[in-house]
Amino acid sequence: MLRSMTENLAVKPTSPSENLFERYQTSKGVYDEFRAENEEPRPHWGRFTESLKRLGRHELASRWENGRRILREHGVTYNIYGDPQGMDRPWGLDLVPLLMAPEDWKRVEAGLAQRVQLLNLVLGDIYGGGQRLLRDGFIPPELVYSNPGFLRPCRGIRASHDVYLHLLACDLARNARGQWWVLSDRTQAPSGAGYALENRSVLSRILPEEISQENVHRLAGFFRAQRDMLFELAPEGRENPAVVLLTPGPHNETYFEHAYLARHLGFPLVEGADLTVRDRRVFLKTLDGLQAVDVILRRVDDSYCDPLELRSNSFLGVPGLVEATRAGNVTLANTLGTGLMESPVFLAFLPGLAKHLLGEELILPSVATWWCGQSRELRYVLEHLDELIIKPAFGHGSGHTRVSERLTSEERILLIEAIRSRPREFVAQERVVLSRAPVWSEGHFESRAVLLRAYVANGGERQAVLPGGLTRVSRSAEDPIVSMQSGSGSKDTWVIDQDTDLKPEFMSASVEPRSIDGRLSGVPSRAADNLYWLGRYTERLEQTLRILRCFMGRLSDEISARGSPEFLALIDLTAGMGLVPSSMRDQFDRTELHQLVLNRVYKPEMPGSVRELLGRIRFIASTVRDRFSGDTWRILGRLELDSRSRPGRLPLANALTVIQNLILDLAAFNGMEMENMTRGHGWRFLDVGRRVERGQSIVQLVRVAVGLRGVGVSALEPVLEIADSLMTYRRRYFAEPRLPGILELLLCDKSNPRGLAFQVDSLEEHVAALPGAPDGGSSDGSVSHWHFERLRHWIQEIDRLRLAPVGDGIDSERLIGHLDSCAVELAAISDTLTGRFFSHTVPRMS
Amino acid sequence: MKHLLYEITHSTEYQYLGTVSVSHHLLRLAPRQSSRQRCLSHELVIDPLPAVISSHSDYFGNESHFITVETPHHELIITSRSEVAVQPSFVPDASETPSWESVRAWCRSDRSGHVLEAHEFTYASPLVPTGAEFGRYAFESFIAGRPILEAVLDLTRRIHTDFKFDPTATTVTTPVAEVFRQRRGVCQDFAQFQLACLRSLGLPARYVSGYLETDPPPGQTKLRGVDASHAWVSFFCPGMGWIDVDPTNNCITSLRHLTIGWGRDYADVCPVRGVLMGGQNQLLKVSVDVVAQGPVPLDAEE
Repeated sequence: MLRSMTENLAVKPTSPSENLFERYQTSKGVYDEFRAENEEPRPHWGRFTESLKRLGRHELASRWENGRRILREHGVTYNIYGDPQGMDRPWGLDLVPLLMAPEDWKRVEAGLAQRVQLLNLVLGDIYGGGQRLLRDGFIPPELVYSNPGFLRPCRGIRASHDVYLHLLACDLARNARGQWWVLSDRTQAPSGAGYALENRSVLSRILPEEISQENVHRLAGFFRAQRDMLFELAPEGRENPAVVLLTPGPHNETYFEHAYLARHLGFPLVEGADLTVRDRRVFLKTLDGLQAVDVILRRVDDSYCDPLELRSNSFLGVPGLVEATRAGNVTLANTLGTGLMESPVFLAFLPGLAKHLLGEELILPSVATWWCGQSRELRYVLEHLDELIIKPAFGHGSGHTRVSERLTSEERILLIEAIRSRPREFVAQERVVLSRAPVWSEGHFESRAVLLRAYVANGGERQAVLPGGLTRVSRSAEDPIVSMQSGSGSKDTWVIDQDTDLKPEFMSASVEPRSIDGRLSGVPSRAADNLYWLGRYTERLEQTLRILRCFMGRLSDEISARGSPEFLALIDLTAGMGLVPSSMRDQFDRTELHQLVLNRVYKPEMPGSVRELLGRIRFIASTVRDRFSGDTWRILGRLELDSRSRPGRLPLANALTVIQNLILDLAAFNGMEMENMTRGHGWRFLDVGRRVERGQSIVQLVRVAVGLRGVGVSALEPVLEIADSLMTYRRRYFAEPRLPGILELLLCDKSNPRGLAFQVDSLEEHVAALPGAPDGGSSDGSVSHWHFERLRHWIQEIDRLRLAPVGDGIDSERLIGHLDSCAVELAAISDTLTGRFFSHTVPRMS
Repeated sequence: MKHLLYEITHSTEYQYLGTVSVSHHLLRLAPRQSSRQRCLSHELVIDPLPAVISSHSDYFGNESHFITVETPHHELIITSRSEVAVQPSFVPDASETPSWESVRAWCRSDRSGHVLEAHEFTYASPLVPTGAEFGRYAFESFIAGRPILEAVLDLTRRIHTDFKFDPTATTVTTPVAEVFRQRRGVCQDFAQFQLACLRSLGLPARYVSGYLETDPPPGQTKLRGVDASHAWVSFFCPGMGWIDVDPTNNCITSLRHLTIGWGRDYADVCPVRGVLMGGQNQLLKVSVDVVAQGPVPLDAEE
């Protein structure tokens, strides 16, 4: 039905000036995904090409922009190690997907299902079985025994249902004859499936009609199957198992994906420090105590998973994890030690293993690989060195790959020498010329090299292949190398089905996140810790912004005239809040002062500057991003001062605009969080952080204000402005600001959400609702109600001072004493809470 | 066949700075059964009492214990007590052992049971590198066609002569190449250096962790806790099995060498390895007593 509809669509002819493909080059000896030898689009690209032409350059450009905006809003990032942009480089996604014809895909699908079973059998023999493959000569013993990826402590641990390899990713390339080859296998913690999912969610918004017109296979079914398989792989007898996704943390290059997948699959995202092994079982540390974990979907590399039995200097793992798997109490997906199969050297032996173990040929061949540890192969490699690429036999990834052609003659001699003296350590592979596909670039389509990472999940009895995958493209039309780490872009991958009707499975629309599994409802202590600091830092940022706005707004005013008492008072106030040095009062220099204030906004290395605080907020928020709704996250994503923004030609005015916008965004975040976050412990910790910070800053603000007395009433106006209570004051007192009124409004009034009394009441309510001390924390540290009693007492005392002035005013010495007492109690509450709930974490700068 | 009976007490005491809320340790303290040694009893006394003690046979067949202490603690004392009976091992006539090259060739081609197992010990391991510099040192002893035991004993003698015993020169993390450069170290360093030499030639050799009974100085009585953990080397010769040599004392192992277990290097058989939650190591005290109890009659074992 859909087919006939499309046929009836009128096709608007493209004008000659709109030839989108004029820059698209095809070259000899390279397979072109898009164009056949006759320069026409391949049949499965036909209808889609028409759509592109119909949309036209202008519309395509605007859709592409739209796509980039969506990615920014979702906060899709990929961390590049050693990149000056540092963390969170925006994810590169092309407008045009890679189209896969159904008959092509069937072969890839069958090949992947076969491959995961084969590799699983090999791993089963090496780790869980009798290593017959070594004894019978199908695998030279060196491949295992001298391989750093072989984890001896894991030998003899049998995987649940004999599934060692639950998820396999293969990098596929298409050779000049149009056949897909496997270039490498990712077997320990394959990345990228989450990005593929995100790519799809963007393309389904910018090319919705095309997706449905091409009958593109949906991705959701794969993730559903993966989830079901993980449940089935839980240790024997665990009904409704608890699953977590283990991440190395926000510094990892694919952290975005971990958080995204965790949300999509409905598993809590945890770091090693969130888990603990007791009684040979794995538990999640939550504020409600320890909760048992049955299955761990891991994104931490093999050897980093347990500092006790594996790499002892790892902080990413869980001590005792190997023992828990040995006891059969937890399932790891993939099991520990599976990284062994990532060594390129195995590619040379897979055809023989397929025949021996499955009685089949490999459906998807691997790139031709020769292991130099065999004399015949060594001879061949040395004779054909210039046609091959040389890799470490036991490394993984593409590190240290050498192409003889690109070496100097001296390097070449050294390489040959190394191969001759340590032949076992090298493999050679055929050089594969990657196929090419169109990529949208500045209003045209260019041809770029593409590489497809495809995924298959294994449940033992059945396999599920992700229909599509993550297509990666080279950086430029000239560059034949594809690597995410070197900054290449990506494409969505469409497996299209032109002839059949929609299968029911494709109809299910869900790419929506699931709710977190009910079995693990507790908030991990680390997440609570981070939420607490998120509360503190956002509040601190708001306070900083208000002070800066107040100060900068007056810098250009006439009151900034040199030496005016009001202006000196303003400097005193700002200095008292720690934003400018108090020496500014005596040696006032306008240019220097401007520069100082601008540094407070823009300078990332200045502690407490707006940019520095934003960096901290962004980092902490990213560690708990699975706790926020999409909308809240989008607002958090807007909270930034991107690295390009500079003071400009009107520095003060521009900075003020930036500040205004940030204050509004913060207000939006606070509103979003108030309205959208469930009132669990997580939210409470966020709010506790905010209340503590706000309480402390009010006390400090009033303390500074006391010193401003006598300068004149206009000096106190900024105090109220910073506390966002100026309007309330005016409404209530119809008068110029005076200290007694300020004390009442900012300290004693329980109804002012900006006032100290209000913070005290909120904190007390939160503390009463928090759970008992979690495991691992010090047990003697509950927050005593005496802290709150004393705070209320000091506030009362301040109220009394306010009402009974001595002589010409308030006894400021006693007032300051009371204020300091309040600050002490607030700090004590914060210390007790952090000591009690977060004692496992490292001290953090406050 | 008469055995000589020993009582061994090995105690490891940690004191921590700060409170340790949970600690996990992996122990390799149980003496291993072998053709020349029988472990008659072994017990572990751990204070504070661990919530978990579970034992398994590790990759190399050594018995290891996994323990978890779950009560907050400031110190941990692990005491291992064993009774071990040893008998002299069979040592072939050195001149009748096969040439070292034939051993190498055999280990490369034969993939059946014991030889495949031995094959694994021909490769570099985390603490034992291989390389031409070690091979060159070894070649002086490994002249062409020389019977392997003769060559190994000569290498053992040279290490004993060329290297100076000096506990201040190295730590447990000193790399073998550094030990080679300064020609100083302790038993663990000498053993790992000899392993590097043998493996660089393609010969299978493993690291043995154990104890050595020591004598008091002449005329004095033996003091408590003066014995120590010891380490030496075992190499494989097809048809004859594993033969142990001690480069620290320039000998084939005697009745005074008591074996705990073996692996590729120290890291595989480290007696106590642990991870703490909270707190940090402040003080470590180790004491070992090896006391001979005299000969015991034991039935010959299979």
